[in-house]
Amino acid sequence: MANEEQDAVAARRRALAEALRNGQDVVVAPSGEVEFKSEAQEDGQTAIQVPNGKLA
Amino acid sequence: MAFYYWYQNDPTLYQAEVMAMQKFFPQFKIDQLQDGSGRLYWRGKVQPIPGGMVWDVMLIYKNDHPHAGQNEYGGSVQILPISPRLKDIAEQTMPDLIKTYGNYDNCAKRGFGLGLPHIYRQNFGRNEEYFICTADPKYFKTGQTHSTSAATALSWACKWMMLCEMWLNGEISDDVALEGNY
Repeated sequence: MANEEQDAVAARRRALAEALRNGQDVVVAPSGEVEFKSEAQEDGQTAIQVPNGKLA
Repeated sequence: MAFYYWYQNDPTLYQAEVMAMQKFFPQFKIDQLQDGSGRLYWRGKVQPIPGGMVWDVMLIYKNDHPHAGQNEYGGSVQILPISPRLKDIAEQTMPDLIKTYGNYDNCAKRGFGLGLPHIYRQNFGRNEEYFICTADPKYFKTGQTHSTSAATALSWACKWMMLCEMWLNGEISDDVALEGNY
């Protein structure tokens, strides 16, 4: 993986980890990738909203 | 006439389940377990985080779907990762957890009794397997008019897989893995 790509992946993972800490709303793309709602809306892609609530 | 299997009793719900999966996770295929139970399952692969693991998972309907008891920590759709296998991962994490928390009892009290956050174990076929405990029962929709579908359960599971991978990599703390509001 090129350095730039590695940096992008690391930044992405940091943002997702922060979303976990903050209880931010996320959606899941058909690939299973967890994304921010705004991104999915911008891309116009099908994504399912993960219901709010704590994992058991 | 009442049938034993939910998909015979409620063809409309069955169609809704199929449509939801085809819409949100079209790579998943439906089939029936070959164990005589008649249970339906979906199987497919997901990759919840960039650069992360590809998970091969089964979503298995209980025969009384969409009903789930108050203590059923996965609702009426059970989620079993085939690869990676949770039991294998848990066997690797447990020694470190025991080192961190001093002994097994402390791990269990903390919520890591099985070596990973938010999982439960149950016999499946000839083996005991570890399943993803997706959401607290109070957040599951169950009943005749509303239910948590396989698609919804998988969305929850993808979030769990992300959490699990990040926890294994030390990107989130034990507290966030166990108690976070996600």
